[in-house]
Amino acid sequence: MTTILPECDIPIPQRQPHIVCHNPENIVLPMCNVQTVPGDMTERGCTFAGCRGVVGGPVKDAIQLVHGPIGCAYYTWGTRRNLSDTKLHRKYCFSTDLTEESVIYGGAKKLYNSIIESHELFPEGKAVFVYSTCVVGLIGDDTEAICKQASEKIGIPVIAFHCEGFRGVSQSLGHHIANRTLFEKVVGTAEPQESTPYDMCIVGEFNIDGDAWIVKPLFERMGVRVLSVFTGNASYNDIPPMHRAKLNIVQCQRSSTYIAKMIQDKYGVPYINVSLFGMKQTADALRDVGKFFHLEENAEKVIAEELAKYQPKIDNYRKKLDGKKCFIYQGAPRAWHWMGPMRELGIETILTATTFGHKDDYEKIMEKANPGHICIDNPNALEIEEYLVKLKPDFFIGGLKEKYLTYKLGIPFINGHSYEEGPYAGFEGFVNFARDIDVAVNSPVWKFINKPLEVS
Amino acid sequence: MLLWGKVQATVLDTMRDNGPGGVTLDVVQHTGFGGIKCVEAGGPEPGVGCAGRGVITAIKLLEELGAYNEDFDFVFYDVLGDVVCGGFAMPIREGYAKEIYIVASGELMALYAANNICKGIVKFAENGDARLGGIICNSRNVDNELELLTEFSKKIGSHLIQFVPRDNMVQRAEINRKTVIDFEPTCKQAEVYRSLAKNIIENTNFVIPKPMAMQELEDMMVEFGIVER
Repeated sequence: MTTILPECDIPIPQRQPHIVCHNPENIVLPMCNVQTVPGDMTERGCTFAGCRGVVGGPVKDAIQLVHGPIGCAYYTWGTRRNLSDTKLHRKYCFSTDLTEESVIYGGAKKLYNSIIESHELFPEGKAVFVYSTCVVGLIGDDTEAICKQASEKIGIPVIAFHCEGFRGVSQSLGHHIANRTLFEKVVGTAEPQESTPYDMCIVGEFNIDGDAWIVKPLFERMGVRVLSVFTGNASYNDIPPMHRAKLNIVQCQRSSTYIAKMIQDKYGVPYINVSLFGMKQTADALRDVGKFFHLEENAEKVIAEELAKYQPKIDNYRKKLDGKKCFIYQGAPRAWHWMGPMRELGIETILTATTFGHKDDYEKIMEKANPGHICIDNPNALEIEEYLVKLKPDFFIGGLKEKYLTYKLGIPFINGHSYEEGPYAGFEGFVNFARDIDVAVNSPVWKFINKPLEVS
Repeated sequence: MLLWGKVQATVLDTMRDNGPGGVTLDVVQHTGFGGIKCVEAGGPEPGVGCAGRGVITAIKLLEELGAYNEDFDFVFYDVLGDVVCGGFAMPIREGYAKEIYIVASGELMALYAANNICKGIVKFAENGDARLGGIICNSRNVDNELELLTEFSKKIGSHLIQFVPRDNMVQRAEINRKTVIDFEPTCKQAEVYRSLAKNIIENTNFVIPKPMAMQELEDMMVEFGIVER
């Protein structure tokens, strides 16, 4: 049997195709990217969350204006730790605060006034991003026309994102919409101030807990000029000249391959997939980029410097973590990004899960998985609990939602969504990652738990 | 017409200008011909916002204001000619209306819309007590109209409660900003409306309608539309 129906899913047998036990002789991918069935308490977000929260939100000097009821703004504000170096970003929350009256008479006037007002209050904003929530899709506000009108008035770009929450099966469609909107409305609207033969964009790097601040200098030390990071700590003005890059590298291959591909198709800029996590993968990424720009020696030099500095620390953590087993549950790509790095620490990933993975994400997981590896698409809390109890991993890398469930079961936990004390990317970040795993797994606190695990 | 052409402040316009707290009965409710209390729900400007939500809000607001507290003989809702979304079904679905009368004529589109309204009634009848009381034919002078409407009413399980002929008197009354009964109480057309009122008061035929399939409706049109000359 390749697919599995856990006990908790007996009332919803439709879950079976989503849960797979890996058999290299007969590779089956979990069913994915489909509507959640009734009875399955999915942890998925919405299209608005994917668009505003993941891709558009990190742009640090855009006014992030949520066109909808106030709750849509509050519950998507500041929850993702995509850090930046401006005072505007993640400190303020902008909303058109739609109410019953706005629904009846339309939200157009409120939207227009909100754009003007937010610009007056924060003239340092280089653009206004307007995100449509569910209700806007229903009442049919002409956000395009309003944004155009407001843009003419305030003299900066006002970009409408049609990311109504009810569209699509998960937040994944929101990533796509954000990519397409930024590509169609922003990329190519300005030329870079200067061009070099070594211009590159890092695509799908959102500067979670400072990841971009670790990886960008690695490429710069090689002699590559990073034209833009899409969109971690990005200025709005970094996005228009993306079409003049000589190469794009894609880190988050779920949320951002779209724009790399669109830039390739329209402007002929090639892209390569990279994993900027772990020693080997990061080194491979630097080598791939070095090869493209004929900067192989520079790449080797940077790699050697980094390894000299950080490999001994990794070796030290490996001694303390060797033989451990873990679960990884992430949005999608980090599940497979981290399977290799875990092995560098002597850790085997015995279960992976993703909230909104597509076929290509699961293919990448299966390429790395050992026989018997369990892979779950869009898991619910009961499934996670059942597998934590059944397989007893030494630790679990998940998101905040799973943190206290895991603690209650007496299992060490790492927040992989926004990290414990990151950054986790690059060579240096991997040391932080290893340290956090060590701190979690080898904490003396677990000695005081003597109750056996059981499903509640 | 009941207010002799007076332009009435609608509930939704008042709410937009004064906020929900600024709507009071003496602003939106006016007494017209025959002591009839009139309220106009109104709506957003064309092409903007959600009129359906407006209907819901207006009715809830009227209820909060106590517009229904008086001992009325009848409460009428004049609703859009089709149930285009949930909001327009509000008077049917929340127990506000008990009897539904559909105004139609012998044209395909009018019957199509009437049939659609029946679908809406079926949907909400299961959970409420709104029932179809009959079809009112507001004649357009098409061939075989009485027969067609009688047959249509029968097919959907109801009855034709009144045939209202086409009469220029309606036009004349409207130009004078009056209802026909107010304008020319003794005319033939006024008698038709009195008959309609009587039929409604005495009506005992309340049903959950059986809407027709589109093909069935079209076949019926063909059958009644072909006139031998």
